[in-house]
Amino acid sequence: MSRAISRRDLFERFIGRLRISTQSEAKLSKTNESVSAAKPHRFAGNVSKGEPRVAVIQGRFCIALTSFCTVCVERCPVPGAMVKRQNLPQVVADCCTGCGICQEVCPAPRNAVLMIPSKKRLRSVEQDV
Amino acid sequence: MNLPRREFLKTSALAAATAFVAQRVGVSAALSPTASESDGIQWDKAPCRFCGTGCHVRVGVRDGKVVAIQGEQLAEVNKGLLCVKGYHVGLALYGKDRLTTPLLRKNGKLEPISWDEAIEVIADRIMAAPDKFAFYGSGQWTIPEGYAANKFMKAGLSNNHIDPNARLCMSSAVTGYLSVYGVDEPAGCYDDFDKCDVLILWGNNMAEMHPVLFSRFIDRRMRGEKVMLIDLTTRRTRTSDFADEVLLFKPHSDLAIANGIAHLLLKNGTYDKAFVEKHCNFRKDTSEPSLNGQAMSFEEYRAAMEHYTPEEVERISGVPAAKIRLLGELFGRRDLRITSTWCMGFNQHSRGTNINRLCHGIHLLSGHIGRPGDAPTSLTGQPSACGTAREVGTLCHFLPGGRLVAKAEDRADAEKLWNVPAGRINPKIGYHTVLLWEKFCTPSDKGGDIQTVWVQVTNPGQSLPNLHKLFRGKKNLADKFLIVSDVYPTATTELADLVLPSALWVEKNGMFGNSERRTQQWFKMVEPPGQARDDAWQTIAVARKLFERGHPGMKDKDGRFLFAVSDPSGKEVPVWDWEHYYNVNVDKILFEEYRTFTRYKHKDLAPYDEYVKARGLRWPVVQQADGSWRETKFRFSGFDDPYVRKGAEFQFYHSVTKDDRALIWFAPYEKATEEPDEEYPFWLCTGRVLEHWHTGTLTMRIPQLSGSVPHAYVEIHPEDAAERGIRSGDSVIVKTRRGELKLPAWINGRAKVPRGSLFIPFFDERLLVNEITLGDPDPISKEPDYKKCAATIRKAAPSEHGSVSRSEINSANG
Repeated sequence: MSRAISRRDLFERFIGRLRISTQSEAKLSKTNESVSAAKPHRFAGNVSKGEPRVAVIQGRFCIALTSFCTVCVERCPVPGAMVKRQNLPQVVADCCTGCGICQEVCPAPRNAVLMIPSKKRLRSVEQDV
Repeated sequence: MNLPRREFLKTSALAAATAFVAQRVGVSAALSPTASESDGIQWDKAPCRFCGTGCHVRVGVRDGKVVAIQGEQLAEVNKGLLCVKGYHVGLALYGKDRLTTPLLRKNGKLEPISWDEAIEVIADRIMAAPDKFAFYGSGQWTIPEGYAANKFMKAGLSNNHIDPNARLCMSSAVTGYLSVYGVDEPAGCYDDFDKCDVLILWGNNMAEMHPVLFSRFIDRRMRGEKVMLIDLTTRRTRTSDFADEVLLFKPHSDLAIANGIAHLLLKNGTYDKAFVEKHCNFRKDTSEPSLNGQAMSFEEYRAAMEHYTPEEVERISGVPAAKIRLLGELFGRRDLRITSTWCMGFNQHSRGTNINRLCHGIHLLSGHIGRPGDAPTSLTGQPSACGTAREVGTLCHFLPGGRLVAKAEDRADAEKLWNVPAGRINPKIGYHTVLLWEKFCTPSDKGGDIQTVWVQVTNPGQSLPNLHKLFRGKKNLADKFLIVSDVYPTATTELADLVLPSALWVEKNGMFGNSERRTQQWFKMVEPPGQARDDAWQTIAVARKLFERGHPGMKDKDGRFLFAVSDPSGKEVPVWDWEHYYNVNVDKILFEEYRTFTRYKHKDLAPYDEYVKARGLRWPVVQQADGSWRETKFRFSGFDDPYVRKGAEFQFYHSVTKDDRALIWFAPYEKATEEPDEEYPFWLCTGRVLEHWHTGTLTMRIPQLSGSVPHAYVEIHPEDAAERGIRSGDSVIVKTRRGELKLPAWINGRAKVPRGSLFIPFFDERLLVNEITLGDPDPISKEPDYKKCAATIRKAAPSEHGSVSRSEINSANG
């Protein structure tokens, strides 16, 4: 992301999408769970079950720049797979195991983590091994 | 789809750009304030329910339910932006365990009863011992709710035992403002963040606690403006990541740092001599700490500051002398605008009043005050700590509008405005929070003369310090009775004898006042669940019951009910009957009555209807010649404040010394009450995290937030951890002289504590850090210190349960 864009600009872009995003929230509220059984929402993304995958942060939904959130970086279980660059979370694709925890914990109104297929990358890793 | 990775990224970037263009087209529609839209969603405005920033949100309602939340673009505070809590604020209403019916404890079990029975039970308790009844309220009370409770207690029961949780949160800021300016609340406002060159955060983790305000400042840097951020802190936080200078100091030594700055201003002759001579007097404490202390001369002040050389300050605080000199130089410059902010780091401090005074002092001494960008400003944590607790005066020594219980003429004035007989208000101040709970938890035959406490909109069972002493003590005292009005079961309702279900946020009309003197209003948008009802209604219903039973205090001078309400035709509306409560706008009626109190200290509020139109207005709001109402951004400054004498540049018109001057205080560095020693070698600090709001009652029920930070933890330095064989995620036991707590360790996580320090957040009701905090109160403000006590830590044995056996903690962090 270009450094020339200010937080306010980013935020102004962001705002227009909130309508959509908060409606997904509205659906959620019907199945809201209490403390003991709180489960974060999970977007299926475009990956079918069992397929190797990798996380990608969708900058336009990420609230690291407006709310100083870095939950995904904090909770990533793989050392080095997620880093903070200029206070923005970034996935290091070569380390990402595709576990999806970052997607599970993302608290943005519209989940900012997308899981995408990573067949090609995994093959190349296997060859290296 | 088998796109190569690079191609894929290019495609998604393009998609993003298209989406950006598409949504710009829709901007004007989004700007219309209360438009109803074709998808069946009705939009209306409200301030966010959470912190003291006072962001405005647009609330979307469909089929009687809040279904969407947006940042309000028309709001000056947040300009459409929200933080992660704000985006999900609507879900706070819909946790599945909402309280929906009154519950009375019978044989140890809470059982449903009717509202009529509940009101009778409260009336019985009060009638039996009106002077042994106490009301414990909140900075989350709406303004009308707090006003009703305050009037009920002080004008009705002649009982001053009413105090809010705000005592635990900002009362040191209040005593700071009062002892410096003679009147409470900041002179500046959030506009200072847009204008300052240097922002100094004094123990203030703004990125997490006031993210929207922090983004307002950081945004300027991103736009290329040259601004400097200085983070004075006891641990590296997310805020520190953005700071130009991170000055780590030893807990409690902020007193020495502030004095070090004053020392340099005096020594280098860079203080603002003209400003000081014209607008300031000097002050120090009497031998017993008191609000107004005693006068001292400038020469005495200079001599007192002599001791605080940069080297001495380095020795006390651990901050390098060169960095103290840097601060001294910055304050010495006239060409810079400097804003200081603070929050709980200053206020929850056993010398909280003093550190507040010292910070105001260096701003006054250097003349960095009263111009946009030059301001010492305290930030509040609750949405209406200012609006309700401080302005309405729901503290045990205050009356509305800045009046004092102890002052005869203030009481007479309030009695007149309330139309009650002279002498109705008890001249003796009531019990402050810590004393109130101490008395409640002490057996009646041993001086515990509070027998019944009614708690509204707060959770003392989690937020009081030293819980075993100040809250759990109630458990075995059969004659004590705890009434709790809340929206969810909490650590407080666990010990309650009577639980009342309350309406929350947009389930009722309301008004809040934020940190920058901004009063905000909203209307009820959805029905509360089950039998949940407004807190103000609950107070009025009890008052009416007492009136019917002949309690003389529930009548005014003319024999009318204290909360008598008439419709426009003059006919009395029985608002104590829930069926009729919303026949009129009770909020508006209570607010208009309260408004008459506000002019005394020049905190003028506008009529209710002005707030309906606005996204909040900053007081004093003064009517103009053309009939319009104008807010005030910069108090005491001639260019903006209508109460400053014509032609004067500054006028501190509520001056303690009655000469329009502010006071510059001297206060020494003193050691903390309980410092680390051999047995307890660590400092233990407590606080909050971005995702959770205070005791987590609301945010822990929002899946996105509880999923992000699911439980409490303890932060420890990696070397301290290594010495004890502790790895991240391990269960550890943190022990203080008050008890111990078992919880997971988090090393090099979000924040990084220095060696010899621990930090535990207090949001988790399963891991109550306040069971082990000390909470030694400031002698003037009576606000407890949650930030410092001595502790020890060790790895927990696998079989060890500690005090958390009642909860299942999965150590998700790592």
